[in-house]
Amino acid sequence: MKPSTVLIVDDSRVSRMLTRQHIQVRHADWIVEEAANGEEAIAKAKNLQPDLVLLDVNMPGMGGVEAAAALRTMLPGCHISLLTANVQAATRQRAEALGVGFMEKPITAERIAQLIAPLEA
Amino acid sequence: MIRLTELELDALVEVFNIGVGQAASAMSEIVNETVAMSVPSISFLPRAAAAKLLATKSTGSGRICGISQRYSGAFQTDAILMFPEEKSRQIVRLMVGESMPLEELSQMEQEAMSEIGNILLNSCVGALANIFERELNGSLPDYHVGYSEEMLSHSGDGASMVLMLHIEFVIERQQISGDVAFIMDMSALEDLKSHVNSYLARAMGGA
Repeated sequence: MKPSTVLIVDDSRVSRMLTRQHIQVRHADWIVEEAANGEEAIAKAKNLQPDLVLLDVNMPGMGGVEAAAALRTMLPGCHISLLTANVQAATRQRAEALGVGFMEKPITAERIAQLIAPLEA
Repeated sequence: MIRLTELELDALVEVFNIGVGQAASAMSEIVNETVAMSVPSISFLPRAAAAKLLATKSTGSGRICGISQRYSGAFQTDAILMFPEEKSRQIVRLMVGESMPLEELSQMEQEAMSEIGNILLNSCVGALANIFERELNGSLPDYHVGYSEEMLSHSGDGASMVLMLHIEFVIERQQISGDVAFIMDMSALEDLKSHVNSYLARAMGGA
């Protein structure tokens, strides 16, 4: 199986680190890149062409919902999910309307396993 | 002065209880430990007195590490999470695991505490927004280290009346306790009261 490429978008370094750790424990060969806000994510995604993008919602500059909308158009075949502490129904509905996934924080091994499952199929 | 009926007050405590329950469950997932919570206490008092009261209620008399976020939308509130400063490294250690070297852990402490605050406060506020069927927009987390009196003094006029909801939670095995407080001014309380009433009407099948 070809190694997958994942882009983690979160302004919190510790969140990016935990997400990366949970991915690489399962798949040491996967390419994992990081971005700290929406603008950086879009710029990186162009070259990276990730298979999965995980986005925090509340970030300085462009937030995760806006970035998800742009990435959805840019990368039609990519799996995109919000991974956020913002557990409000309004945020879930926005994710649904954009056709992207929604996963609540805190980041745990189980949640990351669920998020990467489509790439393992 | 806005008055809440006994039923409104009871509903308000119940709604915050659910919110803090969500936050405690998130905290328990972060640190992999059981987290216990107190029943919320509500006080109406001047902001300066709220700051003093928080200082007496919060654990110990030493410096604390506080993470605050301001929410607006359905109603406006300042939400604050506080831990004794000397416990913050222990909490971050529980979050990131034993394998991280101490030096790296210290560098990451402030960011990790901000993220814990962000997750806890948002899970609590998110539960409130969902119960009220409204939206609340939060600022990015603000991190302060200092004495608890100082945590409230950076926001607003000391003489203005506020409503303070205070909850204590305890990570029992690690003997760590923290405090969550929500501060609202009177106009926010008016908004909150109307949301509580709509919630009560829905809960009782009237809407």
